[in-house]
Amino acid sequence: MQTTDRALELTGYQRQDFSVCLGCKICASVCTVNDLSFNSNPQDILQRLFLGREIAAEEPLVRFCTGCYRCTGACPWNIRIPEVVRALRETLSTESPFEKAFKASLQIWGRVYEPYVLMRAVPFLLKGGYIKHMSRWMEYMGFHLPHKVKRT
Amino acid sequence: MNVLVIGGGISGISAAKVVLKEGHNAIILENTPELGGTMARIANCRIGFKTFFDEIKDDPRLRVIRDASITSVQKKGGAFTVALSDSTVIEADRVIVASGLSPYDPVEYKGKRVLTSLEYDAKIDQRNGELPDDFNKVGFFLCVGSRSKEYPLCSSVCCSYTIREVKWTLQRAKPEIAVFYNDLRLFGQEFFLEKIYRDAGVRFVRANSRYFEEDEEGVTVRYFVDGELKEERFNYVVLAIGLRPNPSLADLGTLFGFSLNEYGFVKEEDPLFTGAQGVFACGGALEPMNIKDSILTGFGAGVLAVKDADLLTSAAREQGLLYNEPGPEITMPDGDVSSCLFYLGTEDPGAAMFYEYMSARFIEAARRLNEAGKTVYVVTKNAVMPSYDELNYEKARREGVVIINLEEGQALDISGKQARIAGPGRDITFEVDRAVLFDDYMDHFKGKEFLSVYRSEPQLRWSPTKWSRKKYHTGFVRHPRDKRWEPREVLGALGEMILDREEERVYPEVEEERCSGCGSCKDACPQKAIDITIQEQQVAVFGPITTTGVPIAHVNEDSCVACGLCVSTCPSDVIKFPET
Repeated sequence: MQTTDRALELTGYQRQDFSVCLGCKICASVCTVNDLSFNSNPQDILQRLFLGREIAAEEPLVRFCTGCYRCTGACPWNIRIPEVVRALRETLSTESPFEKAFKASLQIWGRVYEPYVLMRAVPFLLKGGYIKHMSRWMEYMGFHLPHKVKRT
Repeated sequence: MNVLVIGGGISGISAAKVVLKEGHNAIILENTPELGGTMARIANCRIGFKTFFDEIKDDPRLRVIRDASITSVQKKGGAFTVALSDSTVIEADRVIVASGLSPYDPVEYKGKRVLTSLEYDAKIDQRNGELPDDFNKVGFFLCVGSRSKEYPLCSSVCCSYTIREVKWTLQRAKPEIAVFYNDLRLFGQEFFLEKIYRDAGVRFVRANSRYFEEDEEGVTVRYFVDGELKEERFNYVVLAIGLRPNPSLADLGTLFGFSLNEYGFVKEEDPLFTGAQGVFACGGALEPMNIKDSILTGFGAGVLAVKDADLLTSAAREQGLLYNEPGPEITMPDGDVSSCLFYLGTEDPGAAMFYEYMSARFIEAARRLNEAGKTVYVVTKNAVMPSYDELNYEKARREGVVIINLEEGQALDISGKQARIAGPGRDITFEVDRAVLFDDYMDHFKGKEFLSVYRSEPQLRWSPTKWSRKKYHTGFVRHPRDKRWEPREVLGALGEMILDREEERVYPEVEEERCSGCGSCKDACPQKAIDITIQEQQVAVFGPITTTGVPIAHVNEDSCVACGLCVSTCPSDVIKFPET
């Protein structure tokens, strides 16, 4: 079971930086996840953490948060909700393979060592059908390549 | 004695009134070309301010300096030599700082249809011509620029002001109105106003928003309520802006040698006293406050500047002029529980006026239990913690008291040890050992209700503490709120006594021999100041002397306003003003 303290510890901030939340739901009004009509409320995630509730990985906010910090910008107390979401992903281990590889690389070398990151991430890319759809991708990208212009 | 009043707003004028009444010279220094400050920017208050100022306008001892600021101050002995920007030099013995508040400017959200509450006020001003054609839907959003990281205090007046703007809007047109709030921090009978507008179809939504997409026709607003995101179009969006300390207070502080607190307001050493010898503060220089309280503190600062307040207080107490009933003893649960729930919410608007008094105690108890290591939940329908009280609320949240806001339509159910919050889009259940409900404490306030209802009525009062000329209400009876207000209210009451004192009224007199006791004067009196009493008279027309009762009118001078209606009504000219 994930605990509130574990999740908040991972954010690198203290509990009180998040629990100052007023409950005004301004964050929900500007959240970009809600552009996909998922009806997610970042303030509710915080509240459930403080009530000691489990938060599922299928939660739209946990799955789709892009970390745009629009909620933080609009929040009267500048609460850094994307960081909570990132910490939740870590406790639920639903981070993307690239994210995992990136962090592992930082832990081993203290910097991003590209060959290592690639090595960790490539199996996922293969599994995820990257190669299979590569031709489509190339086509798509080719469409966007600049055309030659005949000068007169 | 010369008294310099810095700021020509409502509190400055009030202070000057007391100073002039005591026979001293008052100099009002105003930074802008017009007197009135923030109050005169509100259309419906402008005339009130003018009337209030007109009473002292022609006083020969009053000097008003407009469009000037202070450049330097020299202090010699007890006196100040103040040099102004237009190279005038003023000698002053006492200084009253009444610099007022400056409204927050939300430049990042403002537009042609997203207005601040003061801009909107000018739009619905009756003297400003026609309303726009598309005035069909208006949304009010509270807590803009207050209760935030940069300014943690609550502005304490924006909720009340918004309720009034709803009123003024409905007086002119019938648009659809929605009010989006965090907590409705109203005072006293204003909760009845809220109920009236609720019944009249004004929507109250417990959510806030910063998503305003403005175009030519209107504003698209997104807000999150009942567990889903809603998108709505409004013709106009009104932001209830917070009131912040005047930025020039910092300069005044360095010039006169008083210090400010961390929020930018004057640090009060004693009630209304800045700490620098001979410099007093009132109104918005102390904290965000409404007009009534600005008048009150203005009177208080005026008293402190020209009189010995301690002597006056003890004299007033001896005469029994100051009236106060202490608030009820309230006991909160101690640490014999492992989890506790506080519920701040009631359906009764009459009980709601004690929100302010009880919220502070609930939050204090919640913090104490939380410190003792218990799990504390505070479920709020409305937590009224204005100005500095908001800091306690913030601390409680930071310390880990779990605060759950009940939205409109959601309800708290407590059965045994199970607490359940249910409603559209929400269903939370948790275990609590003990539940403390707001309504359980309402028995404590019985018998005191009438007085506090009267004192915190929604109208503006030019004499905030006066009940009658022999009774001035302070403390709990006037307004159930934080302790720091009581000494200020006592000072304000002293100011009102000074203003009332020398007012020589001539009361009508009754010629008792000729009065027939018909009672026409009693019917005519608007103040109910005339009593018909039965006076015993000895009659000896024929035979033995006997005693009979004769009805005679009496004028009660405490409540008489000397209007003269009884004099004009009396059929036999018995009741008359004494000839001078």
